[in-house]
Amino acid sequence: MRKNDELEINAYVDGELSDEDRIEMLAAMRANPELAREACELTNLKSQLQLAYANPPGIDKCSVSQRRSPWTAIAASLVMLSAGLTGGWMMGNSPATAERFVMLDAGGRGQAPATAESPETRIVFHLTTPDQTEAGELLADVEQMLQAYERDGRPLRVEIVSHGEGLDLLRTRLSQHQEKIHRLSSVFENLTFVACKNTIERVEISEGIEINILPDAEIIDSGVNHVVKRQKEGWAYIRV
Amino acid sequence: MRRIALLMTTLLFALGLAGQGMAASGYAKQKVVYHVNYDNPKKQAGALRNIQNHINAVGAENLDLKVVLHGNGLAMLLNPDSLPNLPKFKHANADEQMAAKIDGLKMQGVRFQVCANTIKGREVNLENDLYDVEQGDIVPSGVAELAKLQGEGYTYIKP
Repeated sequence: MRKNDELEINAYVDGELSDEDRIEMLAAMRANPELAREACELTNLKSQLQLAYANPPGIDKCSVSQRRSPWTAIAASLVMLSAGLTGGWMMGNSPATAERFVMLDAGGRGQAPATAESPETRIVFHLTTPDQTEAGELLADVEQMLQAYERDGRPLRVEIVSHGEGLDLLRTRLSQHQEKIHRLSSVFENLTFVACKNTIERVEISEGIEINILPDAEIIDSGVNHVVKRQKEGWAYIRV
Repeated sequence: MRRIALLMTTLLFALGLAGQGMAASGYAKQKVVYHVNYDNPKKQAGALRNIQNHINAVGAENLDLKVVLHGNGLAMLLNPDSLPNLPKFKHANADEQMAAKIDGLKMQGVRFQVCANTIKGREVNLENDLYDVEQGDIVPSGVAELAKLQGEGYTYIKP
């Protein structure tokens, strides 16, 4: 087998091919039984690996949910378990999304508490556009703002909720700002990137592939719910 | 002179509407901020139409209405003649039609607020490039202003 084929077949098994490439690969497999067998073996290997490492080490993105009560934790794990089971049953692949699913508490991610003299500004940005030039402008705006507030010692929390077509910004394969997102979330503890699980699942079904989300992002159940909740909690809302 | 004319028109407008009063609209006083950060001229004109409809429904005297412009949104107030000097913009939409719409809304008390970060970052000349923007219309950051206004009870609308 040629090197290219091998790469291609791995990408197919990992669900990383584009729609056209996937269709082409399926046609090639129909014409070439050896190719089909190879893909099948790789898929088997992959699911065995996933069984063995149901909780891959190194992904610990649940730090925000530490303050939950034990009952919430139990309820959440039940939800996650059932989501995982349903997801796994429906898609026949690993419930990676469900494993990373978190519940963000009311305060958002770490930041110094507000004082009477300097009340905290909390902003949730709702990103629904697939246009990553606009998303890039958002990142620039947000960076400028985080720097200015930090310089002046004013408390600020920012969440960027990517939802619908806005999810592209946080998809490993599609994000054009992966490095910037990583840098910003490492530098600014008060900035959180949030991906909508409903969107992920919908896209996984329609594209027939597993969606990988940047490790810097949190995954929550519903983007719409989340922005509504934030507004009720007194966060400012800005649609990108 | 222009200021006086504006004041007179506003007064006349207010007097005219005062007759209809708050009961006619059935709405209590509203504080609203509209957010524009896109440069499509049709979308921008549409946003101004939304605002006019909003005023028609609620009554100018019941509305404290602001429009925050930042990023590409500044195109709404850019003089078309200035576009060649503004490489960081693709559109300059303040032609006669847009200017008339903006004038009309200002007469009904709408305030247009422009982001200083954008003016600086995109090298906009306050005197020459912008249609009818004064120092008092400039806010340090469009995004921060949107957050601040919401904190003060303004409802956020992005048309």
